[in-house]
Amino acid sequence: MRERNVGSRSGKAVAACAILTVVALAVILVGLNTGTLRLSPAEVGRTLFGYGPADGSIALFEYRMPRIFVTVLAGIGLGTAGAVLQGVSRNALADPGILGLYAGAAFGLIAFVSFFRTMEGPAALLIPLFTFAGGIVIAVIVFALSYDRYRGLLPIRLILVGIAVEAGFSAVTLFLSLRLDENTYAFAARWLAGSVWGRDWINAWALLPWIAVLVPYVYSRSRTLDVLAIGDDRATGLGIAVTRHRIALLAAAVALSCASVSMAGGIGFIGLISPHIARKLAGPIHRHFLPVSGLTGMVILVTADTIGRSVFAPNAIPAGVVVAALGAPFFLYLLLRHKT
Amino acid sequence: MKKFRIVWLVSLVLMLVVLSACGQRASSNTGGSSPSASAGSSGSAETAASGASANPVSVATSTSAKADEILHRNPNAKIASVSIHITNNLLALGITPAGSVVGGDVKDFLPLVKDRLQGVARFGVVTDPDMEAILALKPDVIFIDETYSGKDVAKFEQIAPTISIDMDEGTWRDHLTAVAEHAGREQQAQAFIQSYDAKAEKVGKLIRAELGENAKVMTIRSTAKELRVMGMKRPVGPIMYDDLDLRPAAGVEKIAKAYEVISQEVLPDFDADAIFVIISKGSEAQSNYDALRANPLWAGLKAVKNGHVYLLDGQTWLDYSSIGQDLALDDADKLFSRT
Repeated sequence: MRERNVGSRSGKAVAACAILTVVALAVILVGLNTGTLRLSPAEVGRTLFGYGPADGSIALFEYRMPRIFVTVLAGIGLGTAGAVLQGVSRNALADPGILGLYAGAAFGLIAFVSFFRTMEGPAALLIPLFTFAGGIVIAVIVFALSYDRYRGLLPIRLILVGIAVEAGFSAVTLFLSLRLDENTYAFAARWLAGSVWGRDWINAWALLPWIAVLVPYVYSRSRTLDVLAIGDDRATGLGIAVTRHRIALLAAAVALSCASVSMAGGIGFIGLISPHIARKLAGPIHRHFLPVSGLTGMVILVTADTIGRSVFAPNAIPAGVVVAALGAPFFLYLLLRHKT
Repeated sequence: MKKFRIVWLVSLVLMLVVLSACGQRASSNTGGSSPSASAGSSGSAETAASGASANPVSVATSTSAKADEILHRNPNAKIASVSIHITNNLLALGITPAGSVVGGDVKDFLPLVKDRLQGVARFGVVTDPDMEAILALKPDVIFIDETYSGKDVAKFEQIAPTISIDMDEGTWRDHLTAVAEHAGREQQAQAFIQSYDAKAEKVGKLIRAELGENAKVMTIRSTAKELRVMGMKRPVGPIMYDDLDLRPAAGVEKIAKAYEVISQEVLPDFDADAIFVIISKGSEAQSNYDALRANPLWAGLKAVKNGHVYLLDGQTWLDYSSIGQDLALDDADKLFSRT
């Protein structure tokens, strides 16, 4: 009986993954065909195989592909990190923002433009480094403050401390950003609104190892996530070292989100809605819905960025704005449909 | 189990190494493709010597000599300008670029020159230029501003030979001359600067005739957030105190930067004989200025009592480029010819 139940669920998960993969490929193809330079789909196809016009291959290989690659990776990272955070904290409202990661990343960015503007080096990597460091710093502070010597990391405390620390960092960020001149502020605000920042191959290559290592790691721990989701007492009863696993998984989720956010900007909503959509599609077992959540995040981010850079071209709108504008109603629809 | 943990730890360390190694490699790359990029931005003049011109604001790129050759050979070469100020300088030399970035504030060509840029392709704003639009234009030569785009010079060179000018160093005269040298239009640049200097002398005399030979002046700017006194540095300092040869009010000469934020209470300390006012765009900047005028302290100022308060057209005065500054002189001419 139990076997059959799980079997049908994993069938559902495989189907969802297959469908999402097809959708993702379609979206990526549309993304490759989107841009100011007019290229017919046939030309894009020829260019992909090396027979296209010279400017077409520059547009495709230097501008569109790295950007899409970054959005693909960051989408997977945010979707997976959101699912892990919700599982570990046993809170359906948790997302990378709840640990103050976006606030930390934003703080890193504002600190960079306020004090380290003149630093020598490529901006394409300096900004991700600063936002990444900002996110990690705030995560470490939150972890340290919510660690109880006897009971380990407590989910509820984690969330409350996260909110408090986030408020503090946001205040400092706000104060610093008020002192910026208009141009610098406009630049920072664009980033904060989730404009895909990483557009070069180097950004994609810097992001790839994080995703390639941490996503499989998290997936290999999906059974632990299932157990943690039932509650600390029972998990301990089942012989799981709750605190150690919780810290390891949280650290993985933090690293995933910080790496993704540092390349793609503060796109908060994806980490929240992807796991919910995934759970509706593939059920509550982490082994099933973790990959679906990653794929969902990727489809959302790639779609949002493609829409963002095509609708009001040449003045692109940040992908984060598109995610919020299109994702929120869709999310509400999903919630309301399942209520009845 | 232990073994697994070590594997993860090692891979984490590896990732950090990759990230930092990428950073170093990229920086040495940019250093290699434009050897003078970093030195140029720190302001040393001799680094440009390897380029076609010895102008201190010209930053040599690996393709700048080729770009010069194209421009000298073909006066109608298609030019893409990735700086609104370079666009203005090109226009001052009688060259219309085929495409240009737009102003970050207005998200369009600057109102001053918009009518002269009809049919010109738009590339978005300089901080985030639409590379595909530049690519689609198929330009013969690209002009970039070292300050904003210097680090991406290799990307532009992929599209066309690229000339980089450091708009953060030197004066607008240097920028105009540098563009002219690259484009082979030194004479036009000289003519423009001569006519500017003549105009500045004439307008300066006009102003001093009105305010008195030794009158001390200050320029304030009301923005949505704050009240600023414009300092000795660009955009307003050079034209006010060098070109128009006016005297800075007490304390202004100490502001060795673009501006300083002040509170209304210290306005009397400057003891200015005349006050020039720039009001930023937007209703808040205007209402802040109205509030300032309603303050009794304002009515007590020497300049206000004598009726020597002048509203300047910020679009021109704050546009530190050949065309912007030239139009600023026209603005002053208008203000003081009337009285």
